[in-house]
Amino acid sequence: MENRAVIGIPRGMLYYRYETLWQVFFREIGVDFIISEPTRQDTAERGSALAVDEACLSLKLFLGHVDALVGKCEYILIPRINSYGRNQELCPRFSALYDIAINTFRDKGQKFLTFSIDSHKNETEQDAFLCLGQALGVLPRKAKKGYETARKEDQRLWKSKIQAQNALCSTDGLKILIAAHSYVIEDAYIGTPILEFLQRNHAAAIRADIVDRENACKHSPELSPTCKWELSREILGGVLQRKDKVDGIILLSTFPCGPDAMVNDILLRKLHDKPVLNLVLDGQSGTAGLETRLESFLDIIRFKKGLL
Amino acid sequence: MELQTKRRVAFPRYAEYNCAIKYFLENGLDVRYILQPPLTQRTLEIGAKHSPDFVCTPFKTTLGSQIEALEAGADTLIMTFGACRLGYYGELQEQILRDLGYDFEMINLTEYSTGRKKDYLRCIKRLNPKVKYAKVALAAAEALRMVEYLDEITCLYYKNCGFEMEKGAYRKAYSRFISALYSASSKPEIEMAYHNVQEAFDKIQTEKPAEPLRVGIIGEFYTAMDAFSNLETERKLAEMGVEVHRWMNISHRLLHYPGDNNLGVKVRDFCTYDMGPNSTANIWSAKDYAERGFDGIIHIKSANCTPEIDIMPVLQNISRDYKIPVLYLTFDAQTSDVGLMTRLEAFYDMIAMRKKVIR
Repeated sequence: MENRAVIGIPRGMLYYRYETLWQVFFREIGVDFIISEPTRQDTAERGSALAVDEACLSLKLFLGHVDALVGKCEYILIPRINSYGRNQELCPRFSALYDIAINTFRDKGQKFLTFSIDSHKNETEQDAFLCLGQALGVLPRKAKKGYETARKEDQRLWKSKIQAQNALCSTDGLKILIAAHSYVIEDAYIGTPILEFLQRNHAAAIRADIVDRENACKHSPELSPTCKWELSREILGGVLQRKDKVDGIILLSTFPCGPDAMVNDILLRKLHDKPVLNLVLDGQSGTAGLETRLESFLDIIRFKKGLL
Repeated sequence: MELQTKRRVAFPRYAEYNCAIKYFLENGLDVRYILQPPLTQRTLEIGAKHSPDFVCTPFKTTLGSQIEALEAGADTLIMTFGACRLGYYGELQEQILRDLGYDFEMINLTEYSTGRKKDYLRCIKRLNPKVKYAKVALAAAEALRMVEYLDEITCLYYKNCGFEMEKGAYRKAYSRFISALYSASSKPEIEMAYHNVQEAFDKIQTEKPAEPLRVGIIGEFYTAMDAFSNLETERKLAEMGVEVHRWMNISHRLLHYPGDNNLGVKVRDFCTYDMGPNSTANIWSAKDYAERGFDGIIHIKSANCTPEIDIMPVLQNISRDYKIPVLYLTFDAQTSDVGLMTRLEAFYDMIAMRKKVIR
């Protein structure tokens, strides 16, 4: 085979959660990988054409990223994650992701690589990485060591990210808490414009999802007792932890996100003491509408604080 | 006097299964069951008005039905657990109803579905502290029998009602059966209803061609089964002269389900993993219809149903591989009868024409 990378990683969905873990792991076990380019308008257009109309914007972007990798690598990596434990489930879409891609790209002759994490079958994250190593022909010992190194590096980086967010909480000036999945807010096409807008308008954007995950999930029942989606619980816990330190909260979701549609409604009904903006992104290319809403939200906050 | 002190319990309308829920609660737990009016456009409208925009339609329907139950005098609402967003319905619906100012007790089964037996018992005790478990077990067994009868007769009904000689004969017998189930309060009454409807069905004369058009219905657990929610797709189709089959019902999916792993083995060509709640069952069901030479498949779901949207790429491939037409129907709060009729007629014409050419 020519100089093709072994693994292609689509820059969408859980990529943002596993970024460090995957990169360090593949480097440690000596497997070449490429990551698709950050989302652009054509990624979104390509993804929309491939996906079922009613799918959420995040899935459409993800399929756009998979498409960008087809033919450029030996395997495309798509995890299948059902749950990490009891009441630690993920949106059913993450259980389906791998098979959606397999069925969508069936005629392309592209090979895919996957691993499954499912608490109902006692499959843990470590097992999943060992399977991944096995599939790539790496010795179990090497794969285990690679996973441990990756885990440590990921935890170290995550801690520093949390510290950075905590530091932001104690700065002066306008502070806005953003409650969004990492694959929404970190996406170059849909999330970055919002962060840039806030920065231009001198408001610090604080992320609700970058928190001590275990602690956040422990406290999430205070806001929503029966929420079972791990990613939503982290955000709920993050909101609970930081809502009193900020001036306003933006609930950011992609259209039509299943868990967010319900969890954000609970948040809107329970957060009474802070201005809340419920922003649903639908992938339209113009940003004027978005900016108007953000601008008026910031104006309301400044007005309330007597800064206007 | 006694009626005054009993708890007045309600559960959202769900196809015709409320008769079994009523039977179980009244006979097993000795509470009074409040049966709200059947689902109507009004139910959906009040439900949709208070729901988040892009939640799935059954949330809106069941919320509306909960409101109608409270209007009918219920003081306790039950909401079920579930593997998808259904498991979160209870909490959000309770919050919405409280914000609207309703006063009631909510029994959200999600809180009790821990897998531990003592939590289920705790839930039963809460409904009625003086409960006798032997009575509960007996009522449960009889209610489940009722569900099996209901599913069996419903299957027969849609399979044959399109070919009756005397128009409306099947429907008359079927609705008599349903009313009998709702009023049944003992096991002999259930058996009698079942016996009577079988006898009535046997007497109806039908004119079925040797190879009738056969269509398989698959789809989402609520919308595919609830005639109001799918605007009576099954009856409309049957009346065009089609044998309508639907494997998906409570008996098959919950009471006698072979398990995701065992069904999963049969659909490995199409998907590696279980893709979400009911996905394996639906993919298997579609493949089964295709292999049995059905003339078409109709996939029914509510708007925004994540697991059903996700199996669509698989269904598209099954359709391609087995050369079987699939009609995808999405139902939301605005779906009109006329649009559906046009699509069903076009689908019928297409499969009827195809059958002539292929044969």
